[in-house]
Amino acid sequence: MAHVVGPEVVKYACTCGLLKSISSLYFCRYCCQLRCGFCVCHEVDSHFCGKCCENLPSSEARLKKNRCGNCYICPSCQQELSTRIGSKGPSNPEDPKSTPKKMYYLSCLYCRWSSRDVGIPDQSAATGGWPDRENVNANRLQEIIEMYKAMVLAEKQQKEKDKKKQRGKYLSYTDRTGVTAAALRKRIGLPVDIQHSLLKAKPKEPEPAIAKEDVEDLPEELLTKPVNLTEVTTIEQRLLQIDLQPTTVEKLFPVHKQLSIKRSLRCRSCEHNVSKPEYNPNSVKFKIQLFAYYHVPEIRIVTVEPLRAGRPSELIIKFTNPTQHQTTITILSLVLSGDENEVKEETGDQPSLPQEKQPPSLSSQPSSLLSLSSRQPSITIKPRPVSQEVNADVAIPSSKVILPPRDDAAEYDDSGDTHNIQDDPKLVVWRKSNKAFVKLLVTPKQGLALNTEIVAGFTMQHIYTNTIATTVENREPDKHDHNIRVFLTLGNLVGFD
Amino acid sequence: MSRNSIKILQGALVCEESKLRGDITIGTGTIIHPSATILAEAGPIIIGDCCLIEEQVKIIHRLPFDQQDKENTPVLIIGSHNVFEVDCHVEAPKIGNYNVFESKSFVGNKVTVTNGCIIGAGCKVTQEQILKENVIIYGHDCHMREGLDRPGLQTLQMETLSKMLPNYHHIRKPNKKN
Repeated sequence: MAHVVGPEVVKYACTCGLLKSISSLYFCRYCCQLRCGFCVCHEVDSHFCGKCCENLPSSEARLKKNRCGNCYICPSCQQELSTRIGSKGPSNPEDPKSTPKKMYYLSCLYCRWSSRDVGIPDQSAATGGWPDRENVNANRLQEIIEMYKAMVLAEKQQKEKDKKKQRGKYLSYTDRTGVTAAALRKRIGLPVDIQHSLLKAKPKEPEPAIAKEDVEDLPEELLTKPVNLTEVTTIEQRLLQIDLQPTTVEKLFPVHKQLSIKRSLRCRSCEHNVSKPEYNPNSVKFKIQLFAYYHVPEIRIVTVEPLRAGRPSELIIKFTNPTQHQTTITILSLVLSGDENEVKEETGDQPSLPQEKQPPSLSSQPSSLLSLSSRQPSITIKPRPVSQEVNADVAIPSSKVILPPRDDAAEYDDSGDTHNIQDDPKLVVWRKSNKAFVKLLVTPKQGLALNTEIVAGFTMQHIYTNTIATTVENREPDKHDHNIRVFLTLGNLVGFD
Repeated sequence: MSRNSIKILQGALVCEESKLRGDITIGTGTIIHPSATILAEAGPIIIGDCCLIEEQVKIIHRLPFDQQDKENTPVLIIGSHNVFEVDCHVEAPKIGNYNVFESKSFVGNKVTVTNGCIIGAGCKVTQEQILKENVIIYGHDCHMREGLDRPGLQTLQMETLSKMLPNYHHIRKPNKKN
């Protein structure tokens, strides 16, 4: 997507104050605000392996240290390893006609590393049984982990005594998707690793590590022999196996592939999801995708005249209406110092909201007072001021631009536009279906040095039609104005000719 | 080099559409795809047996500037069982056996390639050096590692090609008895 709307010359100011291209913004339909990846809650929906596409519940993923049990990556180049077949002698040595025995080994198709390189014996089964190496410090680590678990438990019990335990707001969804062995054990009350430490009253402290004074001498051959770089591992290779940190390539062993996650994004003010993927790891679709690209008019730069300090240049930008509803775009001057309304909304000061901007989800609140406690903003975000400097003035046109709704079939319709829109010919240069080319005059400020990057900005007000059916009596989709601050990087200042 | 003298040994499969310039000898079992380019500018090229030279491959025998004034004409000898994958560009002055030049790789004219080396896809090797045996160059940063064994042969692929290519392309006739 990014390359379709790139290069990022048109940036929209998110409600939180960050500048992003439209493809990386979300639009919360309930608060009617832009949200970006930094001002939404990220939640892990499901864990899956990117190679075998196996879906793992979160408890099992935790148990497996967020790694896939069957898939491996190359310790040399971090690509996925594939299982290959190598035949090795007949299965029955006495009978020369018997089929050769199939042996499997792991091989990297990228750097040609193979499990034979480090002397891992071939396996007779395709699906693994690959030896896992014990971590030499496993016992010690387990001791420390147990101690901390016990400490956490003790702290929890202390808290419970003090006051009633607060229930977690969200359940992890992966626990619901499948019943695993671990989850089942938990459900029927068999001891899961935490359980037995409950009996101990005091966390048992492991032996403290003792500092040693005598360290190994520097091997002299490091200074005398030339270094063979093909035998020494790189930092990346060492850090991939953090428990062993091999220094030479013959100690590289296949590493279990790390699991990927699917995450849903939630608006922090109203706690509605703005993006929610489907559970199935094979699916790339979304259940909820409130991307700004589908709700907010897209702006693209068509042409811009050479920019000279103090001289007006013509800028043509294209507006595209992505929604199924007609919208009107008004270009207003840029207000950099944060909108009053936005600030109020962000701090959750709902009663003082202007009536027409009231989010529809809030209007039906009396019936859902019970859920109000969970609907309140988890974190109040203070909007930051936009840090972008603007060094050009945009002449604000007096008239508005009407954009017809998006019609996918219009592309194939040769009969021409049927919309009878009276345009201001000074403003709208050309229009077709849901797109319009708009001419603006941009004047870079006086006294700028040559080759200065010129950034112009304006506030785009568009009418957003909210289609969420809120109450039974209110069937009319409500329309309201939505202001977005837009910044255009127009290019560098050129000299006078 | 004004005159083309192409010697194709019995059993080699050289497509008519390949671009061959200069004095070139092609060994038995070698397959040269259409649109491969082999230029013997500085001296003759001798290609060994069972090499696979795929489409858009450029093998150019060109000397570095500082060696161009020498009297004797050097010969580029390419060993046996080398695989030149699609769109690789090889100018190495000496190539041994069992090497693989992956797609879009580049080998400069100061690099001597020994045996069993793999130049990974997109890797550029230009620094003056002699590649050790079974060296594998891979990745964006051209990491180098030493392989355990030489790469596997492409026998199956070459058998298929030797059946398929004559059905769809004009083949140059072998003009040399071995």
